[in-house]
Amino acid sequence: MKKHFIITVFIITVFVPLLLFAESVTVITKENAVREYCKFFAPVKAKVKYNDKLDMLSQQGDWFKVRFMKAEGCIHKTAVESKTASLTSIPLSGSSGRVSENEAALAGKGFTPQVEASYRAKHPEMKYYLVDKVEAINVSDKDLALFINNGGLKQP
Amino acid sequence: MKRSISFLLLFVAVLFAAGWKLPDMGNLTGSIGSAGKVVDTVSKASRSISEDEEYYVGRAVAAMILDKYAFSTDVNITWYVNLIGKDIALSSDKPNTYNGYHFGILNTEEINAFACPGGTIFISMGMIRMAANEDELAAVLAHEIAHIANRDGISAIKNSRWTEALTVMGTEAAKKYGPQEVAQLVSIFEGSIEDVFKTVVTKGYSRSQEHTADETALKYLEKSGYNPAALIDVLKRLSSRDSSSGGIMQTHPASQDRIENLSGKVPSIKVDPKWLQARSFRFNNTLKK
Repeated sequence: MKKHFIITVFIITVFVPLLLFAESVTVITKENAVREYCKFFAPVKAKVKYNDKLDMLSQQGDWFKVRFMKAEGCIHKTAVESKTASLTSIPLSGSSGRVSENEAALAGKGFTPQVEASYRAKHPEMKYYLVDKVEAINVSDKDLALFINNGGLKQP
Repeated sequence: MKRSISFLLLFVAVLFAAGWKLPDMGNLTGSIGSAGKVVDTVSKASRSISEDEEYYVGRAVAAMILDKYAFSTDVNITWYVNLIGKDIALSSDKPNTYNGYHFGILNTEEINAFACPGGTIFISMGMIRMAANEDELAAVLAHEIAHIANRDGISAIKNSRWTEALTVMGTEAAKKYGPQEVAQLVSIFEGSIEDVFKTVVTKGYSRSQEHTADETALKYLEKSGYNPAALIDVLKRLSSRDSSSGGIMQTHPASQDRIENLSGKVPSIKVDPKWLQARSFRFNNTLKK
């Protein structure tokens, strides 16, 4: 009887927290990258998109070590939102930085492309085409790294 | 019976050890689907504006700024400013925004710079020409990036608008809205843009927000390898102009006040004259000085 009790306690101790708190993070930027090591100019191991779910493995300073598909690497903490995959329907309290179920249900809602499209239709005079032009400027990692080195600046 | 109770107590203890806590009332009410609309609305109001929503507000504010000011098509200066800005953004507290940082030039001699929520920053030709070197230009951009990282622009949206928006959104998973909901959201969107535009372009941020942005900028400059003292140099140059000059002098606290706030806060770093010269050379080269 005592043996059964110990085994049961062991299973609960090891597996219940894993099931309740299997950590995943969600990409909150339009596009981003999982990098080989935790630096901005590290080689890209996988490209990720908004709302992609990544398995969080550990945290290293301002970076999360994550797994996406079969690729393991780093992503900066500001590119993702932490979310606990809970098997229970009871929301967790004191979970600052985590997304509650209610928040998750509202993700991708509110001021959406659909709202912007309606706003633009209502205000055709707005110069969105120039905003698109500003956003189209694309500085590559290579260009930026070269600029930093040529100016004696520090690579973050 | 006694054993069962002990077992149950042990189970609960294990859950607590793993970090599980009793739900607070706000969240609990949110989880009960049939609790009624009033309770539901209250719990929904706790959700803050998301990164992508901030981006859409910022795009509209940017479009309004481009309605007020002429847009510069100078490719070389735009590219150069983007390199400086993106470098500093990587050293900021918020290197990632929904669609990244982008820098546009306004073709006006007015001395000004604006940070739109989400990461688009405008700087006027007047401001660029006022800077004496790359480090001073970097100081201006670091200040604007600090406003974005501190979410100063988006926080100008009145709370009542957001609460109203959350009510319209509802809790259903559907992401496509009906015509009535869209009309309501567009109206709230318009109001939100107006709140942000007024703050960013017309009224300016609060004195404490400006001081914090200056202090944050010093940190970003040091981290990225620029001379943090360049911010003081720019402010000194600005202080020689009075508020009747318009532009940034109208929306920001007096430059002397900002310099005093930074007194004793500028990190002392050793600036290598060789690199300072290299940066000044490319600055002069780009601006054809």
